[in-house]
Amino acid sequence: MHLQLAGISKFFPGVKALDNIRFDLLPGEVHAICGENGAGKSTLMNILAGNLQPDKGQILLNEQPVRIANPVHAASLGIAIVYQQLSLVDTLSVAENIFANTQPRNHWGIIDRAALLGQTRQLLENLQLQSIQPQILVGDLSQGQKQMVEVAKALSKHPAILILDEPTASITEREAGTLFAIIRQLKDSGKSVIYISHRMQEIFGIADRITVLKDGQYQGTQAIAEVTPTDLIRMMVGRDLEASDGPSAATREELLRVKDLSGNGFSQITFTLHRGEILGMAGLVGAGRTEIAQTLFGYLPRRSGEVWLKGRLLRVSHPREAIRAGLGYLPEDRKSQGLFMDKSLTDNIIAANFRAARPGNWFDSSVARELAQSYREKLRIVTPDVEQDVLHLSGGNQQKVVLARWLLADPDVLIVDEPTHGIDVGAKAEIYRLLRQLAAQGKGIILISSELPEVLALADRILVLREGTLAGELPGRGTTEEEVMALAAC
Amino acid sequence: METQTYTNPAKLTGPQPEKSRLRMDKLLQDRVYSLSITIVVICIVASVVFPQNFPTFENLSQLLLNLSIDTIVAVGMMLLLISGMFDLSVGSMVAFAGGLTANLMYFHGFPVPLAITIGLLSALLVGWVNGYLIAYQGINPMIQTLAMLGILRGGALLVAGAGIQNLPYWFNAIGQSRLLGIQMPVWYMLLTVAVFSFLVNRTIFFRRYYYIGGNAKAAELSGIEVKKMKQFAFILSAVLAAVAGILLTSRLGAAMSTLGRGLELRVITAAILGGASLTGGVGKIVGALLGALFMGIVANIMIIARISGLWQEIILGLILISAVWLDLYLIRRSRA
Repeated sequence: MHLQLAGISKFFPGVKALDNIRFDLLPGEVHAICGENGAGKSTLMNILAGNLQPDKGQILLNEQPVRIANPVHAASLGIAIVYQQLSLVDTLSVAENIFANTQPRNHWGIIDRAALLGQTRQLLENLQLQSIQPQILVGDLSQGQKQMVEVAKALSKHPAILILDEPTASITEREAGTLFAIIRQLKDSGKSVIYISHRMQEIFGIADRITVLKDGQYQGTQAIAEVTPTDLIRMMVGRDLEASDGPSAATREELLRVKDLSGNGFSQITFTLHRGEILGMAGLVGAGRTEIAQTLFGYLPRRSGEVWLKGRLLRVSHPREAIRAGLGYLPEDRKSQGLFMDKSLTDNIIAANFRAARPGNWFDSSVARELAQSYREKLRIVTPDVEQDVLHLSGGNQQKVVLARWLLADPDVLIVDEPTHGIDVGAKAEIYRLLRQLAAQGKGIILISSELPEVLALADRILVLREGTLAGELPGRGTTEEEVMALAAC
Repeated sequence: METQTYTNPAKLTGPQPEKSRLRMDKLLQDRVYSLSITIVVICIVASVVFPQNFPTFENLSQLLLNLSIDTIVAVGMMLLLISGMFDLSVGSMVAFAGGLTANLMYFHGFPVPLAITIGLLSALLVGWVNGYLIAYQGINPMIQTLAMLGILRGGALLVAGAGIQNLPYWFNAIGQSRLLGIQMPVWYMLLTVAVFSFLVNRTIFFRRYYYIGGNAKAAELSGIEVKKMKQFAFILSAVLAAVAGILLTSRLGAAMSTLGRGLELRVITAAILGGASLTGGVGKIVGALLGALFMGIVANIMIIARISGLWQEIILGLILISAVWLDLYLIRRSRA
């Protein structure tokens, strides 16, 4: 089947997720899509899978325009997708997961268990996955096996187009080998595969052509034989800087020292942070940056290692103690971890420092409101009323609300996790200004960001993480995106 | 020019009727406001239709007395609902605490204050266990408190048997005396509502429950000890239920193992009518009182109008569905 996308655009409130994207998939082709985090790859896949509708543009299947209404419709058109986040039910068997909603039935309409198990076994055998028993519960499988069951589920519908979204992120080398064998098999039978990955080695091993996206824009399509990994990295990151370099406020006074810290998804992390310094943390999604931040903050358990804040050994088992000691953490996902959506701006701002709204013995909502008003002015949060629910604010203003919470809590060290994710350019610039201002006041800032230009522009030093370990440290000045990417990607 | 007119730019955005409709919707969504008005209207109508029976001191003080026990329990339930949980074991707790207190006084000759203290301590223990298993061990609140409902009902049968009468005079005086002509349980109810209303509005400790119900993850990351706070809410709910149970036993002058049967659902209904939501984050303590008051008035009017008891249940059910439905409709409209 020949798939073509022409002029596809998709807008989310305040963000252009996709802007005039072209894409072309030939029968029997493995076509890789690359781009940094947030380049728009997942949005594009969701459009093909029928989860999202494009705001502009056309999808053509065999030269016929189609509108993919929903995932069921996508499946009937012959498009199957293997998601990064698994869509399996842990409490059901492998067979029932693979044939979810399409279980073979006898003519009474009753599920034919023998046929179900038989077909599953046949399918798994074709995919060289005999080690997975059809009747075993999915919850008992390893992460990698689950991923392979997910692939089997997609293939059970005999799709003409298979979309794989970061399929090797959680599987072993041997399983990856099996997966590539499956891809080649599909290719030989005239099926097409869209392969999304960060890993250069895999892309160069399996893909025929490659399309690069960046910030929702189409960068170009190349035959794999005509490009080198270096070219590809340049296509992925080459863009104008949004944040200009400012004067550094870094001092030599040590504020935070982390020694051999290990926890969920990372190990043996050692670094220091100085007063007035902005320390960037770069790395791909899954490199362990958020886990490190949340472990420092007492939200995730620490396995081993030591942390000193202002020369004192820090022992925290709950964010409450971390805040008392002088740490702040602006979470990555502001909707699910940062904001109280149904609460007012005032309620949101005082959430980490209620005491500020307690002039005497009792909490005073008018004091809270005045505080909220002063932070609304200071951070230029656009809302007519501080009593309005934050639900109605734009992404940039919502992020400023979470930042205001931490300004009010006044920590010595503030960890900001993807502080400009999904917000518009204007709000980004203001957040950069605030972070610089905080550093100038003598705070230490740890900036976790997948947007390399912002790390390069703001950070005094950059730690690069790869798969839970420290891959290297780079100076903030004069470092290029290519140097960071070379450390971050394998 | 000396005279300048300052205009807030925000006020200029959007057509005016739109704004006033939104403000109206907002007020209607505030259940304390809408329920208060509804109650006033119903009372006026009832006074006009039944001038002989409804607006009398005797009828109204009886009405308040009837809802006093439910309301004390509803205050604790409201706090749990604000934090996104609920407790089904409160009805049985009422019977158990009353039964245990009566048992200790009648069979074992415990002095009144000591028996009451032990009755309250038993609730503290029950609340601690509920809270520990739910907050720290992850048992679903519905399952945990449903199991506790059964356990405590059995416990109430053990301690109260076929019923205990002839309780000490001083014990009965707690619930049977009057102040300014109004029965004491009404005063206890008003005191409980006033105290917890104040605490929830004016102390940091209790305000945290709104954050926990709003977004538990964000609350944890803002430094709120969610598990500890949840456990405390269950302790408080059980202790308030025990207070209500001891008060009811005193008022009746007898402990019975069947006391408080079905009370948990009545109380949850009152709290939801009063503005709570099962998903948490919203509700006011005074809403618990208003919800119970509304249910009490509706029941009272139907008795005066000689409407059969089974219709009361049907009508209350319909009112609950309508109230929640209206709320969802208004929210959808304001977000559209």
